[in-house]
Amino acid sequence: MKLPIIRRWFIVVSIPLILTLLYQFVYPLAFEAYVGKVNAPLVYNNSTELTSVEFETLANELSIDARQRAAAAIVAADQTPLARQVKIEMLMNTPSAIRNSEPKHIQYFRDAGIRRYDGPETCLHCHATMRIQHGDGSHATVNTLNDLVNSVHFKFQTEAGGFSTYGYDGRQVNSGGHKIPVGKINRACGIPGSFTWTGWAALIASHPEKNHGAEVLRSEGCGQCHIGGNYQPATEKMMPIGDVPNEAKNGIDCLICHAAQYDMNQRYVIKDEKGLRWNQDRSLRAALTVKSISSETCLRCHQHNMGGDVYQHNTAAKELGYINQRILHRGAKRGNPFSSEDDVHAAAGIQCTDCHIPEGHLIPRGRKGVDLVANDIPIKDVTCESCHGQAPHNQSEYRALLNGHIARLACETCHIKALQPDNVVLRDWVHPTWNAEEGIFEPTDIYRSGAPGKGFIFLWFNGNGTFLANALGSNPNGSADYNPLMQQVARITDPDVIAAVRHKAIELKQRYSDIDVDAYVEMATNPLSQLSPELLARREAMIANNLRNAMMQGESRIYPFKLFNAMMYEDMSNQGPFGAMILPFDYARYYETGDSAAAVKVAIVDPIIQRMYQEPFKRYMMDEFMAYFGITDGWKTVYPLVNEQLVNVEPHWMRQMGTLMVNHGIQSKGRECIECHAPNGIMDFNQLGYSAEQTAKLEQLDGIELRHKSD
Amino acid sequence: MILHASTLRLNRARQLLIMLMMMAFSLAAANEKVPVNHNACLRCHAMPTLAYRDANSNKIINLSIDSLALSHSVHGKLACAECHDGQFDRYPHQFDAQNRPLSCVNCHEEKADAAERHYQFKTIEEEYNQSVHATPDAPELKGFNCHSCHDPHQFRASRIGEPLAKIIHTNNQLCLSCHESARAHHAWLPNQEKHWQAVRCIDCHTPVTENDQTVSHQILKAEASNHDCVNCHSKNSRLLNRLYQYRTATNLEHQGWFNTAVFNDAYVVGMSRSPLLDRLALGVIGLTLLVLIAHGFGRYKAYQRITRNRK
Repeated sequence: MKLPIIRRWFIVVSIPLILTLLYQFVYPLAFEAYVGKVNAPLVYNNSTELTSVEFETLANELSIDARQRAAAAIVAADQTPLARQVKIEMLMNTPSAIRNSEPKHIQYFRDAGIRRYDGPETCLHCHATMRIQHGDGSHATVNTLNDLVNSVHFKFQTEAGGFSTYGYDGRQVNSGGHKIPVGKINRACGIPGSFTWTGWAALIASHPEKNHGAEVLRSEGCGQCHIGGNYQPATEKMMPIGDVPNEAKNGIDCLICHAAQYDMNQRYVIKDEKGLRWNQDRSLRAALTVKSISSETCLRCHQHNMGGDVYQHNTAAKELGYINQRILHRGAKRGNPFSSEDDVHAAAGIQCTDCHIPEGHLIPRGRKGVDLVANDIPIKDVTCESCHGQAPHNQSEYRALLNGHIARLACETCHIKALQPDNVVLRDWVHPTWNAEEGIFEPTDIYRSGAPGKGFIFLWFNGNGTFLANALGSNPNGSADYNPLMQQVARITDPDVIAAVRHKAIELKQRYSDIDVDAYVEMATNPLSQLSPELLARREAMIANNLRNAMMQGESRIYPFKLFNAMMYEDMSNQGPFGAMILPFDYARYYETGDSAAAVKVAIVDPIIQRMYQEPFKRYMMDEFMAYFGITDGWKTVYPLVNEQLVNVEPHWMRQMGTLMVNHGIQSKGRECIECHAPNGIMDFNQLGYSAEQTAKLEQLDGIELRHKSD
Repeated sequence: MILHASTLRLNRARQLLIMLMMMAFSLAAANEKVPVNHNACLRCHAMPTLAYRDANSNKIINLSIDSLALSHSVHGKLACAECHDGQFDRYPHQFDAQNRPLSCVNCHEEKADAAERHYQFKTIEEEYNQSVHATPDAPELKGFNCHSCHDPHQFRASRIGEPLAKIIHTNNQLCLSCHESARAHHAWLPNQEKHWQAVRCIDCHTPVTENDQTVSHQILKAEASNHDCVNCHSKNSRLLNRLYQYRTATNLEHQGWFNTAVFNDAYVVGMSRSPLLDRLALGVIGLTLLVLIAHGFGRYKAYQRITRNRK
């Protein structure tokens, strides 16, 4: 009688136990094997233990440095150097100066006996939980590590709704029942030419001219800016179950955001027995300088996508690494820098988080997002109006009329006058060019410009975007003639740009003799010419039937948009009216050999790309992904590599240019009236959906004295 | 009794209709000159965000005109320059040309038909001069004038058929845009929300006027305003002299004559503004009718059977 009861209990207890064990230990291993990624305990050489004497020496040095700078900012400059020096020394040694200027963590670490920085473990020692404030003013206490691990900075994708992105099938991304993880993690992108999965960390053997052909290792990959810092991005977070393994969590680089003195020279790729990963600054020196977040800390990474890597005032890009120096990306992604030299807000000392007000580790991007980048707090506004209010112009004689323009124009339209000249518009990945100075093959930027009408154009925008980053909006006059997906972003008509593209094509032909210059220029400047008549007709129908609604929503205003298109290899089995699935490049193969097709072959052998071409991945997300992409009959799992040969893969330009929002690099003085209100002004009123009569009126302003605005 | 009450109300509505039509004709007659073109001004002034921050008051001065509302307003047929006769043909405008106060009363008294108006502008002026808004020494009322409440570019008489709730809401918002703490001051009022949805501020905050006279422009102080429930909640409700005189006409527009005749004001105003109660009552009447018919039918059948049996 007794035995069955015991057995029953045994079963009842053991089933959950077995399930838990499976989930805890077997699932992570199975997942790693499935996606072909590794995790291992991470060691950083610069995470060293200091003796008490060394600690005090370092603490003293940091304290003096901080106090000296604070005092120097106060003591007037117009005195003899000696007098100034004496005063600075007096001031910096006062008890209040020590109290106010010495980095706070010196005392914290001294008291807690911390003599070595061990990554998140050390931070969480005190900061296991944190108090956050929500947008509505309410407070909550959250687990710091969970908060971070679920932020876009860590996982860079989200399965939640809240995207202002619409699929070409007319559905708002992730607004329905079947939610898929989308964001930078799985969004193949033409600017970096890769995915985070295949382009996370690479060591490239370069042969710079000055070394006379000797090999120099260089670092490259998405991981240089992403705080995971391990062997791969946090792919585990894309699954409905499971978590990032603890090893990966230990690799979080807290200090790159939180330390005032972080050594960017420590960010380079290192190779260990498990593979390639990014090094980080885990020195106690950096940890002792922890303070509130500032623009300076954000810009270590974000100047890369704003001003660009070769932007003059990108300080992080001046510290490329003690070894394996990072490769600078030429051709800026946006070319609108945030720096005190080129942005009025930065010059006023405004910090990134003054506008992007965080809630714990969640940081809002604003409600308007044209690209498919995940947003931590999609319901939170980041706007000019939240500070500047309704009638921001209050100096000029024309102030009322300038304020009047706000109903139709975004602030950026007048207050960003140009992007950086190295802003890349057309990038050809298929035909790389040898960079002798760096000793690597680089993608060829066919056209770069920061000028209005060339590097960026003006479009109606209501906050919505398409799956391939095209701004959506409509002329408030309701005109159906406004159709940027068939006009502005699908065709380059500026003769200067066309001439520049032709010039570059002729140059490329010297290396790639099979290039037909006329055909090349046509493809690059009229990407719709790559579509069959049948696809073209389907495209027009999809725009009219599926996108009109998303275009007509809300209130549209004219915004500036940076233009971008890339020529890449595409998997033609998965082609639709708006483009085909682009295939990533293996950075090392690409940079070293310049053989772009070979670089694709290497990249798509990556296990996760192979999984993409299998049934479970298709069901889990790719069918849905393709539906948003404008391909109605699902994802074709025809793996494009057979017997080492690319099958049904062709080089193409995307069928329209992507449009990226530009919101930084704000100038205090806006445009002059006549820049737009003149025949051949920078704004093409006709293409913006104004009738010939309205256009004529807008180009000719009777009765308005177009003096210099600030007169 | 029921019939009598509704006839009375219909008569009142008819009077009002005639009055409004007369007003409309007189306006049309006055402006039969040329179709006016506001385009030159509206080119800028139709911009919804045309505004500036006044350097002295630090307040945002809105210069925007809703062109659709202007075209529907009673002033929509006037050329801009008829009221604004300064140097406005160039931009930036000359500063001395601005800020010339415009008086509603002066202009309207000059009109040929001024004496025939149902509600005289002179009366309005007299009433206004006794209003709390005309208190001369209150600093917060500096610069208060007709335009503080009546936007001349949007002003129009309420239309028959416009839902009363909407009229009431718009009207009350006007007061509440300045009287921000009004809600707290009306905490004594039972069913505050209901009252605010059904009654305009001015219905209580103006003196009782003669029958058929529109609401006065003499806004009363809080102490002097109507606190007496019975003034409204009675058979001869003072509300009936005011906004609710439109009500029967409104119902006519919406529900057709028959429905109005059935759902008329057989109930004392204030005792039932509930459509549910109206419907229930109708249901009871309907049921009674059904029972009566069934009863009659039964009697008829019984009668038939009896006569058949007799044969």
